[in-house]
Amino acid sequence: MGCGTSVTTDNKGRRLTTAMKAAILIQRWYRRYIARLEMRQRYTWNIFQSIEYAGEQDQLQLSSFFSFMLDNFTQLNENGPDLISHLLDPVVDPWSDRERQTKYEQITVPESYSGPHLTFPLTVSHTNALLSAFKEQQPLHGRYMLQLLHQTKKLLKQMPNVIHLSTPYAKEITICGDLHGRLDDLLLIFYKNGLPSAETPYVFNGDFVDRGKKSVEIIILLFAYLLLYPDHMTLNRGNHEDHIMNLRYGFTKEVMQKYKTHGRDILLLVQDVFSLLPIATVIDNKVLIVHGGISDMTDLDFLSSIERHKVKTDCKPTGTVESPRCRCRGQPESPRCRSKGQDHGKTPKKRRHLTRQGSCSSSSSSSLCSPRGSSRLTPRCCLSPSMPSPTDALQVFFLMMMIIIMMIITTNNNNIDLLWSDPKSQPGCSPNTFRGGGSYFGPDVTSRLLERHGMSLLIRSHECKQEGYELCHDGQVITIFSASNYYEEGSNRGAYIKLGRELVPRFFQYQVSRNTRKLTLTQRVNVAEGSAVRAVQEKLFAHRSELMAAFQHYDTSNSGCISVSEWALVVESVLRLDLPWRTLRPRLARLAPDGSIDYQSCFEDMGPGQPIPQVTPNLAETLYRYRTDLEIIFNIMDKDHSGQISIEEFRQTWRLFSAHLGVEVDDRAIDELAKSIDFNKDGSIDFNEFLEAFRVVHKLDVKDQQQG
Amino acid sequence: MAPKKKEEPKEAPKPKAPEPEPVKIPEFNPTEVVLEFTPEQIEDFKDAFQLFDRTPLNEMKITYGQCGDVIRALGQNPTNAEIMYVLGKPKAEEMATKMLDFDSFLPIHQHICKAKDRGTYEDFVEGLRVFDKLGDGTVMGAELRHVLASLGEKMKEDEVEQLMTNQEDSNGCVNYEAFVKHVMAS
Repeated sequence: MGCGTSVTTDNKGRRLTTAMKAAILIQRWYRRYIARLEMRQRYTWNIFQSIEYAGEQDQLQLSSFFSFMLDNFTQLNENGPDLISHLLDPVVDPWSDRERQTKYEQITVPESYSGPHLTFPLTVSHTNALLSAFKEQQPLHGRYMLQLLHQTKKLLKQMPNVIHLSTPYAKEITICGDLHGRLDDLLLIFYKNGLPSAETPYVFNGDFVDRGKKSVEIIILLFAYLLLYPDHMTLNRGNHEDHIMNLRYGFTKEVMQKYKTHGRDILLLVQDVFSLLPIATVIDNKVLIVHGGISDMTDLDFLSSIERHKVKTDCKPTGTVESPRCRCRGQPESPRCRSKGQDHGKTPKKRRHLTRQGSCSSSSSSSLCSPRGSSRLTPRCCLSPSMPSPTDALQVFFLMMMIIIMMIITTNNNNIDLLWSDPKSQPGCSPNTFRGGGSYFGPDVTSRLLERHGMSLLIRSHECKQEGYELCHDGQVITIFSASNYYEEGSNRGAYIKLGRELVPRFFQYQVSRNTRKLTLTQRVNVAEGSAVRAVQEKLFAHRSELMAAFQHYDTSNSGCISVSEWALVVESVLRLDLPWRTLRPRLARLAPDGSIDYQSCFEDMGPGQPIPQVTPNLAETLYRYRTDLEIIFNIMDKDHSGQISIEEFRQTWRLFSAHLGVEVDDRAIDELAKSIDFNKDGSIDFNEFLEAFRVVHKLDVKDQQQG
Repeated sequence: MAPKKKEEPKEAPKPKAPEPEPVKIPEFNPTEVVLEFTPEQIEDFKDAFQLFDRTPLNEMKITYGQCGDVIRALGQNPTNAEIMYVLGKPKAEEMATKMLDFDSFLPIHQHICKAKDRGTYEDFVEGLRVFDKLGDGTVMGAELRHVLASLGEKMKEDEVEQLMTNQEDSNGCVNYEAFVKHVMAS
């Protein structure tokens, strides 16, 4: 007491206490900050997944439109859209193999071409040349592309449906998942793991194309290595190795843009090659590798015997306009759908789905062969008034066809299930309503199948996983996904598996990062979240009138405001994305002073790309919503790829589309619209310009563009 | 016997402050908590709760270990000690295995929400000023890191790293007012 030391001790003690307090304060706030970041990451992921799968479901709608068009279009135009019929019919190749080969050899390559020149059989120098060329953004000439595809087709014809591999002594097989046109990921894998060779065998598990911008380069490389090392390179077919999917998800467009002269020939050849890809790979009789998954009807022996090349596409017309979506919330780590396979509370939806299919078997929702006959099989097709309705005789014919089709359906189930199915955690097997194709298979289905064939592991892809891979069904199923940053910069890692003799998988992760290295976690979350929120805002905008009508229904006092609960209810019932709307609310809508939501504010941030005066809001909205579909259809109609279609064609397409969708659109409005788009009054429309106008843009983007 | 003159009486304690009686903090009793949330708020909490639910059958349950995360995600900033208290001081292994459903979560969350002394901007700045040796509004990043990792509810090295990224200037100093704003802005 009284000595100087104890004062300083006290001071020190006090300072220490304050320091401790400060530390605790910071730590508390930090933990809060991280928890909120995690929450944002989770709902961002949910948004991306929901929108992706919802988009894939819309795909069915498009294919049913094709069949409708096919039925009715030929009556309008004698020549018919030959590309459509070509795409939907089994291709009968009039040329012999030798004739084709000569035909390609006769294509001249200009002197100015500085890319790789291919000769067959390929050598390592060719594949190296391709790698360097693609790194330098140098494309491969159309002639070599055609020749490459032709050779690949020849090779694949000799392969069985199910490839059997054995792990080489002291070497490991590398298994990669979806690439989706991401060349950077493929190059990164080659860099980390080595180029394909006898020392480094590879299996690529489907979905090489679509969505990414370098699908062409990817398949060139994969096919080249396949030709070079047919015993050490295996390619499984994925659900995107399908020309209907390609029409929607970008591969077709990419090919047409990169190959203006030979695009169509390339596409037709690619279609053949895709249909010849094997559907499954088995390693050491113990590991099954397929792109999607399995179902309770999967029978590998049967699978080996079918004629796989006859199945050109899994996207078949069924007449369903809108399959019910699985009402579920996504979780980053666990299977997406909350109610996947759960029968209670969801049976009404499932039943509705089944009845729409008519007498389709329950384990698959869409599976018809592409023969044209089946496309007439849609008695509930809405025909536009100017077309004759089917007579009674035809209806009898339809019924007979249905029976025949039913038989075809059962044989094709296997194919779809393998390419489209997803695992779920509940036991049993149910139709994959979220995707619109394939099944959800439970752990018991997996165990049974593996046991029946004496296998121990199922490796599949098809679903994006944050860590690039995920195990489920007690380790019996591995999902492997190789496209990093799939949804957005920083959204997920990619991964590949290495499997040696002991068949114990080793996982390798990576992430292609141009800019992400420099971004902090917060910045990355901000970027991803921003992009996800924008996607949701676009959806809101595209369904504006439906939403407004529903909002106003609740807004009895016409105040422009409704409660948060009502808002969340409406939005979910219209968009059906099963997202955490209340948590997202701060990013989507403004609160009024009394705590209710000013629902108009949902649409504030978005606006049209360019204003077109003749377009009524209703029409605009429909165009926004179906913009992608329209683009695809226009591209098909544009036979000479000039970017233009005649006004008459535009009118007809639009009428058909609206008849099919059951959307009321005033004919006159369309006519006026068509005339107004024909800017130079020459009777043809530049549809890209037209579609540009209906791209929903974020108002801030427009401002940036105007300033920038 | 030698005179005891010089010996201090051993038993006589130096006059020191009387030890405070250990305050008996009663165990947390969820049933005693009065829920004051509005139905709207409860819906908001449900929304976020579901986001963290990782059960395979989506049973609206989270692990004990996630409880703190959910409370924080909803905007509170309890200490770990407070979380442990409301969870009934579970053992370490229970954190990953014991589950909490939404109804049990509500009283816990309510208790945390009612707690005072959340820490204001000023408290924060005051606390950091302790480390401001030069009185110029900056603290040494290294010192701050050391403190965060060794005092209070210690943070792990990678957590500290994440927090401190881009906060230090070229001299390794952190402007703590800006730092506080950064942390509180979540």
